[in-house]
Amino acid sequence: MLADLLQNTLDGLAAGASYAPVALGFALIFGVLRRANLSYGPAIMLGCYAAALAHGRFPGLGLGALAAIALLAAVLAGAYVERLCFAPHRRGSAVAAMVASFALWMQLEEIATLMLPRHVVAFPALYEGEPLAIAGLVLRVEALAAIATAAAVCALLAAILYRSRFGLAVRALVAAPLAAELSGIRPARVFFLVFALASAIGGTAGFLVAATDAQITPMMGLWLTFKGLLATMLGGLGSLPGAVAGALVLGLVEAHAQWFLGPQLRDFVVYLLLFSLLAAAPRWMRTPSPS
Amino acid sequence: MDAYAVSVLTNIGLLGFLALSAYLVLLAGEMSFGQQAFFGIGAYCGGMLTAMAGWPLPLAALAAMAAGAAAAVAVALPTLRLRGLYFAMATLAAAEMARIGFELLHWQVEVAGEPVGPDGTQGFRGIRWVFEAGLAPEGYAVLVWTALAAVTALLAVAERARLGATLRAVGEDPALAAALGLDVHRFKLGVIAASGGLAALGGVLFAHHNTYIEPRNFDVMLGVHGLAYALIGGLGTVFGALVGVALDVGLLEGVRVFQGYRMIVFGGLVALLLVLRPRGLLDEETVRWIGRRFS
Amino acid sequence: MSAMLEVRDLVTAYGKIEALRGVSLEVQAGSITCLLGPNGAGKTTLMMTIAGILRPRAGSVRFAGREIARRPPHEIVGAGVALVPENRLVFPGMSVRENLYAGAYLRRDGEIEADLERLFERFPRLRERAGQDAGTLSGGEQQMLAVARSLMSRPKLLLMDEPSLGLAPLVVEEIFRIVADLHRDGTTIFLVEQNAHMALRVAHHFYLIEQGRITFSGDPGSLAEDEVIRRAYLGSARR
Repeated sequence: MLADLLQNTLDGLAAGASYAPVALGFALIFGVLRRANLSYGPAIMLGCYAAALAHGRFPGLGLGALAAIALLAAVLAGAYVERLCFAPHRRGSAVAAMVASFALWMQLEEIATLMLPRHVVAFPALYEGEPLAIAGLVLRVEALAAIATAAAVCALLAAILYRSRFGLAVRALVAAPLAAELSGIRPARVFFLVFALASAIGGTAGFLVAATDAQITPMMGLWLTFKGLLATMLGGLGSLPGAVAGALVLGLVEAHAQWFLGPQLRDFVVYLLLFSLLAAAPRWMRTPSPS
Repeated sequence: MDAYAVSVLTNIGLLGFLALSAYLVLLAGEMSFGQQAFFGIGAYCGGMLTAMAGWPLPLAALAAMAAGAAAAVAVALPTLRLRGLYFAMATLAAAEMARIGFELLHWQVEVAGEPVGPDGTQGFRGIRWVFEAGLAPEGYAVLVWTALAAVTALLAVAERARLGATLRAVGEDPALAAALGLDVHRFKLGVIAASGGLAALGGVLFAHHNTYIEPRNFDVMLGVHGLAYALIGGLGTVFGALVGVALDVGLLEGVRVFQGYRMIVFGGLVALLLVLRPRGLLDEETVRWIGRRFS
Repeated sequence: MSAMLEVRDLVTAYGKIEALRGVSLEVQAGSITCLLGPNGAGKTTLMMTIAGILRPRAGSVRFAGREIARRPPHEIVGAGVALVPENRLVFPGMSVRENLYAGAYLRRDGEIEADLERLFERFPRLRERAGQDAGTLSGGEQQMLAVARSLMSRPKLLLMDEPSLGLAPLVVEEIFRIVADLHRDGTTIFLVEQNAHMALRVAHHFYLIEQGRITFSGDPGSLAEDEVIRRAYLGSARR
């Protein structure tokens, strides 16, 4: 019983670590633009499809090259989404931007199925050996990769936001948009770069998930957007450390609920948790600043 | 008219109810990602009442609408003070819980020697009231469109009357509406109940058109489509929501040259349309302009 | 003296409502020019239009002989015009030092650190609080930070939108001492002010704006002589 609990906790943390960068990318866009990007996951999914396509054509490509392809394609798709859905609505309606991002979701999904029509597409596996066994607990090597990646992404993002000129512009723009513009910061440009950065983070996370599962489907877009949205919401919308915490909580809750209640009720529990949090503690959900 | 055209027309009508329900919530100044749940509740309730309990469709539809309205109020009561994306997320969470609820619902009874009723993810077969009542597909299309026309007419009349102005006031400036002595909270709850009832009516009619429903019919994609229809059509008039549906299902389903690229074309068109007209095709200004031309 | 800033027939509208209805004025190089006017007259709209935040519908804004109307804010800051916005608007959640660096965002020269040092000498309170969250500063300190941040862009013309708004009298005194100091060091200043008594002590030229139009232009002497203005702006002790 105790071993099960520990194992679930370990699995949950590993899952949470793989959600963390997904959530960070989503929260970054929401925190800076104050807009929910429903096409966040689908753009990453398209990146992974590009990598899978390259893998099929040129089987000799290594994981590193495929990751680079996935990242680049995700950034391109993200930039496309920004230009068409967010740049035109920068001063306008948040709802219009969100619905436009949903429309492009449909588009990206169809592009993916045109690229690779089979419903399930094989993806090169990250690791094919046996999982590690430590003190009676099983630890997958992929989980270690996920934790290392999450830590690296957090450190890199913190360095960008707190140590670079671009990061200063991003934080200034979030803290006081008018004052930032009066200081010579160009919002349109910063938003575009934030989108590219978020897509790159998401692309990394998505590639890792795809390589862990060794397969991808068009449903991956929905999955990524949902995990990003859920973790961001659970952590208090718009806060980056909150998004990471939300991702870990999401992973833990899912792992334990799956073990005790099964897969259907696992999702139910997550939605119930979110609903209750929103209904009971709306204040807590409102953290204004992303830093 | 060939069978395909009839089926497209019926589908436009069915989705029309969903779009109208999303439109109502939007007018009240909220955004719901969860109208599909009430559509689903209507479908399951109505289907169970006709197929398992042997009720006639009109009675079952009324009961299903009541259930949809009650469910909408139950979701809104604890969450209506949330705004924007928070309310949208709360409705999404509730709708996903409802969908998982459908997946867990196993309740079958023997009807004419066969088990009938919801069977979890296997879905719910044999909702055959229309077939048994001897109604042809054309007849059913007429029924759906009559119901939709009645609802639309009712809403259009309500919009022209003071109700529409009140609704817009509540949506656009709740503080002002409250200052004018309106119980904003109760008014919004009423609108949301109506939107739940409308979605449920669409659901009942959907279930009896398809004769088979399954939980994944009522996933978030359905709800977001409803929301998108209302927004593409525009928030200026109740007809906007129907224009939105007709644009998607009608135009692109009808013109089959886009086969295989339908979503690429449609998705791009919608995104571009929203750049040009962020408040949809029939926004308030356009509606006023049309109104002046014809008065 | 020559005109550093020349505004001609400027019209700025919000939808159908014109907030500026043909404003013309000049700010002489090396002067302190003050714009007076009631709430809603278009003072902030004028400042925001000059700074490039709002696009005028008609008219021109020339700075040092160059047309800057309809240019984006970053180009206008780059050209040497900086606006200290109404209500201070520091960057909360960022340290005082980071606020100042943000002010120097467009600069690529190597003298940013030296300028920071100079500003810390001018505003010793900011040095004391360099590492502190700007959102936790007092109102007066925030106003000083906002001014210092604008100075980090090395402006030739400093626009100030109601720098004394909501500040205690002693702090207002300090702000105006700073304005006078900056002017002595060679910065041209164009400020919006409701506190005409304070403005009279430093400004060389006054404009009055009412309902989107300039209705008075003159030096401090003629301002004090104008019966209507005296009653409206210098009469009873406002604030």
